[in-house]
Amino acid sequence: MKQTFIVSLIIIGLGAIFSLFMTGMWLAIVLPSTMMIAMQIPGKRAFGAGFLGVAFLWLVLILIKDIPNHHILSSRMAGLLGLPNSAMFILVNVLLGGLIGGLSGWSGAVLNKAFRKPS
Amino acid sequence: MRKVIAILPILFTSLLVYFLGKPMGSLPALGKLLDPVTGCWASAESVNKDFNNKLKLDGLKAGVTVSFDDRLVPHIKAGNDYDLYYTQGYLHAYFRLWQMDLQTRAAGGRVSEVLGDKALKFDRTQRRKGMVYGAEQSLKAMEADPRSKQMLDAYTAGINAYINTLDYKTYPLEYKLASFEPEPWTNLKSALLLKYMADDLTGYTEDIALTVLRDMLSPEEFAALYPERLNGVNPVIPHDSIKQTASLSAPAIPADSIAWAHLTATDFEVEEEGKGSNNWVLGGSRTKSGKPILCNDPHLGLNLPSLWYEVQMTAPGVNVYGVSLPGSPGVIIGFNDNISWGFTNNYRDVKDFYAIQPASANSYKFAGKELQYTNRIEKISIKGKPDYFDTVKYTVHGPVMYEETFHGPGGLKKPIAVTWMAHRPSNEVLALYMLNRSADYTEYTNAIHNFLCPAQNMIYADRHGDIALWGQGQFINKWRGQGRYVMNGADSATLWGQNIPVAENPHAHNPAQGYIASANQTVTDTTYPYWYNGYFYEFRAWRINEVLRNTKNATVEDMFALQNDVYSVLAANVLPVMLTHITPNVVTDRERNYLDLLGNWDYKLTAESKAATVFQVWWANFYATLWAKRFGKIPDQLKPSPERTMQLLKEESPYLGNVKDAAIASLRNSIDSLERLKKADKLEWYKAKNTSVKHLTKLAPFSYTDLKIGGWGNTVNAAKTDHGPSWRMVVQLGDEVEAYGVYPGGQSGNVGSKYYATFLDKWVKGEYYKLSFYTATTKPAATYTWTINPKNK
Repeated sequence: MKQTFIVSLIIIGLGAIFSLFMTGMWLAIVLPSTMMIAMQIPGKRAFGAGFLGVAFLWLVLILIKDIPNHHILSSRMAGLLGLPNSAMFILVNVLLGGLIGGLSGWSGAVLNKAFRKPS
Repeated sequence: MRKVIAILPILFTSLLVYFLGKPMGSLPALGKLLDPVTGCWASAESVNKDFNNKLKLDGLKAGVTVSFDDRLVPHIKAGNDYDLYYTQGYLHAYFRLWQMDLQTRAAGGRVSEVLGDKALKFDRTQRRKGMVYGAEQSLKAMEADPRSKQMLDAYTAGINAYINTLDYKTYPLEYKLASFEPEPWTNLKSALLLKYMADDLTGYTEDIALTVLRDMLSPEEFAALYPERLNGVNPVIPHDSIKQTASLSAPAIPADSIAWAHLTATDFEVEEEGKGSNNWVLGGSRTKSGKPILCNDPHLGLNLPSLWYEVQMTAPGVNVYGVSLPGSPGVIIGFNDNISWGFTNNYRDVKDFYAIQPASANSYKFAGKELQYTNRIEKISIKGKPDYFDTVKYTVHGPVMYEETFHGPGGLKKPIAVTWMAHRPSNEVLALYMLNRSADYTEYTNAIHNFLCPAQNMIYADRHGDIALWGQGQFINKWRGQGRYVMNGADSATLWGQNIPVAENPHAHNPAQGYIASANQTVTDTTYPYWYNGYFYEFRAWRINEVLRNTKNATVEDMFALQNDVYSVLAANVLPVMLTHITPNVVTDRERNYLDLLGNWDYKLTAESKAATVFQVWWANFYATLWAKRFGKIPDQLKPSPERTMQLLKEESPYLGNVKDAAIASLRNSIDSLERLKKADKLEWYKAKNTSVKHLTKLAPFSYTDLKIGGWGNTVNAAKTDHGPSWRMVVQLGDEVEAYGVYPGGQSGNVGSKYYATFLDKWVKGEYYKLSFYTATTKPAATYTWTINPKNK
């Protein structure tokens, strides 16, 4: 549990820095798998850690834009996707990031397990 | 086995990322759109965004300062003309790039490239009517004059300087939604945009319908229902201002058998109803201040991002403020230190049609000979499909717009070519360049004489006290009737003749009546020596003239009131007639409830009026019923005009048939609609008509609907469903220029900006901003400042 948290926090921290020159999508794909391999996180926790890490990373990145914008854009985008309000739009957006992050984390863990020689 | 399992999550991830990265149908790539760094979120602009900026731009000649006021209107101060237009281009692109891009693609028939084959018919129409051809002709004229060439070159360079800074992250949101990219700007694009306006304002095809109607009705009937000139109008140019001598004599009228083509068509496509506009000017004798007041409100499509972008442009020799068209350099409607001007559409017919008689697949008959078509191959790229090639045949008359492979209005298959003033070279950019710098009446006339198409009623006032209006455009010395119907394209007698010298265009300069007003009505009375026809509207002109005739000591507030006036001349004239036919014994209780609403009605289409809704619904039904027998399925737009119908009603004309029956039947028919509106709580006029300002994509979350505004196309405040006053301006020309304005939008085209529709509320309420005009002596503090310097200096 503690490990999941720590990995998520690292993903958020690194992601925030890398977001200056990488797209959110690349961050969601690359960061979790790399982290799981580097930290040898087992598959069970890797999905959760990747999910949480990227979901929160995306949430942070989104709120940085959304709060100063007074939800102008998010309300309009919510309307476009048929969602009731900006909070729902952000939730959907964050869950999408989480899903990619989770799958990426899982991929990292499985790769780790598959190619590491049994010790 | 472990290795196989290992592949699964990787496969899932890859598939998910792959699908998120691909546009699906009309949906954009969701992964890209929802990316928190580069997706839609990049357009979420902080409401406290600091717009201050220091820029270094390639190609600029010297330093430029842009001061933004609190409404984000830029006041550009440049050291030379090049830098002035360069900066305007940069600003237009910075705030409005997607709109400029889309509108010029639309003008040139290139929408399929970005939206797919659903736009193919539209694109073909644009190509076949010769939009690109016309823009190329005009561009030659624009680039032949060093002033307009420099203006365009600088403007284009400024736009491209901004486009070059962009990447996916910084694209306007709409590019991400429709998955396409900005492309470099060219001078041709600016020329195309001006042709787009010309098409919007002169591109109607009513000659074709009129040809069918003429053959359908008896000559007496046709003359009564479609008079060449309506009686009882208030022409734009007062009678005593008309110069009744002409330097050109009227050409001989060819025999009917030579002149005309005959067509049959039964199922007319409904064209969008015409646009309108108002402008008027009061001389000092009619104002409280003793100074002229000029007013203008062009009625165009109500869209977001707004058609207009407010700007002040200052450089040596010019200090001008007004609204500009993103995509075109200069100020279109506005004022400077000395003069103010405005436009309404002139509506004289400058687009005529010719029936072509093919001789073979590659030739047609003309003046007893066989002439070869000049083919122009139009390549239309279509997103996700192979290119489409359309061959457009050019004749002596112009392009063959309709033929077997591309049907005209009413399913016409006969080849029809179009002769159109917009195909001829003209330099409207130079006209605006000179107009922006004009200081007196002579300079204004010299400037506008370069403005050839779309013809406009160009209103004028200056600080010396002069007022004027020119019905300006390039017109042809036509024989009486020429071009009113589709002409025989095989005879040379139907060809357009000489240009009327622009100095002989109808105009008024300080007329005795002390004011001049235009609202798309008939331009002159019949003492004007040149024959013309047109597509004129009279209701707003009747009302404006009625008010101004009785106006003394006018203030700017009085002018605000007139621009927002919703009195219906139509209602005032026809409703009493309609009501005389409704006797108590024919009315049911349900009908009486609605008729009671009309009891003390003041004929004003105010936002909350229920009487207005009752009248509008009943009138629409009444009008349709009156003409139903005679015209069958022909849509309303082609029936005798409401103006003429009103006159026939008052004259008790026999052509109307049984008016009493029509009044009763139409009232009965109206009740269902009215009950439906009542049930939906939409009986108030603004709810029933639903004036909307929609995003160009029509996406609802980017649009505003149900705006609480009164009026209709035939009232001065011409707020219809999707057309209306696109810019309201009132300028008093005293020692200081005192100007007010508002448009239904905002300075930023970004849907994620608080400046996207900032002015809409005030526009709806009929309120105005006092425009902040920087002069040598007055320079209010800027809210934000851009300091721009040339790169490498």
